[in-house]
Amino acid sequence: MAPTTTTKTQTVQTPPKTEGPPKLSDMEGSIEQNTFDQILEMDDDDDDREFSQGIVFGFFEQAENTFKEMEKALEEHRLADLSSLGHFLKGSSATLGLTKVKDACEKIQHYGAGKDETGTNDLPDDETSLKKIEKTLSDCKADYKEVEKFLRRYYSYNGDGSNDE
Amino acid sequence: MDGGQTTTNTAPAGNSSDFVRKLYKMLEDPSYAEIVRWGDEGDSFVVLECEKFTKTILPKHFKHSNFASFVRQLNKYDFHKVRQNNEENGQSPYGQNAWEFKHPEFRANSKESLDNIRRKAPAPRKQAQSNEDSVPTQQIDLLNQQIVAQQQQIQHLSDRYAQLTVDHQIMLQEVMRVQKTVLNHEHVIHQLMTYLLSVDARQRRDSKASGPFQAQGQGGSNLSPSQVASMDDEPSSPLQHASKLLNDMNAEIQFNLGGLDSLGEPPKTGPVVAPTPAMDAAPRNGVVRSSTAAAATPSNPANPTNAATTALVYPKMNGDIEPVVYPVGATNGIDPMYSEHVNNVPYPMPPKQEVDDARRQFADNRKKSTNVDPGWMRSPHILLVEDDATCRQIGGKFLYSFSCVIDTAFDGLEAVNKIQDGSKYDLILMDIIMPNLDGVSACHLIRQFDRTPIIAMTSNIRSDDIQLYFQHGMDDVLPKPFTRKSLLDMLEKHLVHLKTMPQGIEAAQPTAAVTMAAQSSAAQSVKEDSSPSQSPATSINNWQTPGQFQGMAAVHPNLQQVQGQYVPAAPAAAAAYAVDQNGVQYPTAPVALTAAAAAAARPQQRRQVSDMASTAENPNLAKRQRVYAPQPQAMVNPVQAARTG
Repeated sequence: MAPTTTTKTQTVQTPPKTEGPPKLSDMEGSIEQNTFDQILEMDDDDDDREFSQGIVFGFFEQAENTFKEMEKALEEHRLADLSSLGHFLKGSSATLGLTKVKDACEKIQHYGAGKDETGTNDLPDDETSLKKIEKTLSDCKADYKEVEKFLRRYYSYNGDGSNDE
Repeated sequence: MDGGQTTTNTAPAGNSSDFVRKLYKMLEDPSYAEIVRWGDEGDSFVVLECEKFTKTILPKHFKHSNFASFVRQLNKYDFHKVRQNNEENGQSPYGQNAWEFKHPEFRANSKESLDNIRRKAPAPRKQAQSNEDSVPTQQIDLLNQQIVAQQQQIQHLSDRYAQLTVDHQIMLQEVMRVQKTVLNHEHVIHQLMTYLLSVDARQRRDSKASGPFQAQGQGGSNLSPSQVASMDDEPSSPLQHASKLLNDMNAEIQFNLGGLDSLGEPPKTGPVVAPTPAMDAAPRNGVVRSSTAAAATPSNPANPTNAATTALVYPKMNGDIEPVVYPVGATNGIDPMYSEHVNNVPYPMPPKQEVDDARRQFADNRKKSTNVDPGWMRSPHILLVEDDATCRQIGGKFLYSFSCVIDTAFDGLEAVNKIQDGSKYDLILMDIIMPNLDGVSACHLIRQFDRTPIIAMTSNIRSDDIQLYFQHGMDDVLPKPFTRKSLLDMLEKHLVHLKTMPQGIEAAQPTAAVTMAAQSSAAQSVKEDSSPSQSPATSINNWQTPGQFQGMAAVHPNLQQVQGQYVPAAPAAAAAYAVDQNGVQYPTAPVALTAAAAAAARPQQRRQVSDMASTAENPNLAKRQRVYAPQPQAMVNPVQAARTG
């Protein structure tokens, strides 16, 4: 898988920049620490972090697939599908405490339903909705990349570092 | 003549009808000219003498003597009676009584054309058909009318039904409101009683301290010591009686309104409280007074007039006027010897801090321990319906950490199928938005045949959303993203019947405490007094028992959580609880514990029902009850320590 290689290069590159293992508190704003902690708690072994790593890496796969589907739906102007894809990714990102990604997904869900970002008011037309989704999607992907990078690094220190399972 | 007829009859070939040929033959006979003959133009025939024709000619040629039949036959062959329409007077050229019949093919000297005269077969049948049709049409009309009428009736009934439903709703709300009011009044009365009893107790304590001599000196009465001793009981009798009446009333109210809801606030005087010594006290004193009178009288003990009026019944009043100067409100004046009070005074407000402390402590410790055994009787079977793999994995892991047996379904359809196939679960956690079949629809389907509690797991928790979930038979809502704690709370709330020991002992202990106290044996009271662990505070707690019990009656899940934390702190019980937390079954537990568990069995059942009712109907209630929850703990542990140790 592609992510494998990227991660390895990252783990090689990053340690010199930031010293020591990454801390969850550094990602305040992107990751809700309490939520993520309670998943880490579920690890039977704090050294290999098998469970949480499995979940997180599974989420990466899920997120990347969802982004692809979103892009396709965006090209084909399928607003309803975009809304449900947004809802879908919102659920899993929220469960992991990935706040930024969750918020962006929620916006996409609302835009896809023809509403504004809070989900209360109607947007004038599909064109507006699609434009807003396009913008939000790219933000969302950026936010995702950020937490992905962090989490992969986190598991390279805290987990067994292998993500090609 | 007949013979001749037949010969001529056979002569002409062709397939003309018998009747027509007979008719033609008849007309050829000139002897009948006076009666029947060809018409003047030869294209019709005329019956001149109807009577003679019927009597003489018809029998000869047609073997009957019925002119009407003859005319009917003619009609069948499409002969028509010629009418004299042209003239107003209807003058027939053949005379008044002449019948002239005509057929286009029936002419004199034109025997060949007879073949063309056919019986008009379809015509009569058509006639019949139309007659048959007309009758059912009428019937259909009638039926239609009936249907319309019935529809109107149904419409009317459904309107009426809707109206009644609305009325019913309104009535229900009214009843609820009235019930709340009544409960509030109850509460006020109980608080009043509490206060009065504290005043009363202070009076008695004072009287005991000062002894009979003071009573003699102040009241100037000539009472022997034995009389004074007996008086100790008497002043409280009106209060006791009032308490008893209240208790009885509460029991009734609870019984009657239990079906409507369980607002929790009602002073739930458990069955244990019912057989209180107050029952004995009233007959002993032989005084039956209304609760209002009893409450009103001592409420103003400082008033000499008031005291005087009741002096006969409550002699001690006179001697005890002065205690009113004591500060009011504190309960430190309670005489622990008076075990009667233990069961009669519902004490309203336990302190809140303890709860918070306990919970905080609990929360801190929880973080460290990954796998909390909530203490199930058996592992709950949970169906987790969730389309998102991440949520499913994490939810499943959490449930696993709570010692649950987990089954998962990818969407609503799979969930419905699983239930339909007979899988039994203790709880269903249901995502709402899912492919194929959403959670609400799935729940709706499952509710057609199954009552397993279903919890909606969703981030859509606007009030109208939630209303929808409840409308379709869901039991609760777990907002997403859920935390481990919110999930556990939800499990404990809905699986209270699967909870084991901690809850059981919890239930047993207040019961035991109350029962012990209820015996009102002097020995028991003394024992409690002399017990080293019996600080003034605990004695107050004991005194509050009924109030606590009321809180206990509807157990909140948090109670159990707190329990687990608390228990190891009680040294005597620590071993026993440790056993339980490790999941070892009852039989291996110490004997004392087993006994307690056995005692728990019944109260536990009772609470289970009331709890389920209250938690289901009033989510807010649970929050309120948290305030009460740890309260029994403070009281229970010393008792428990005393019993097991």
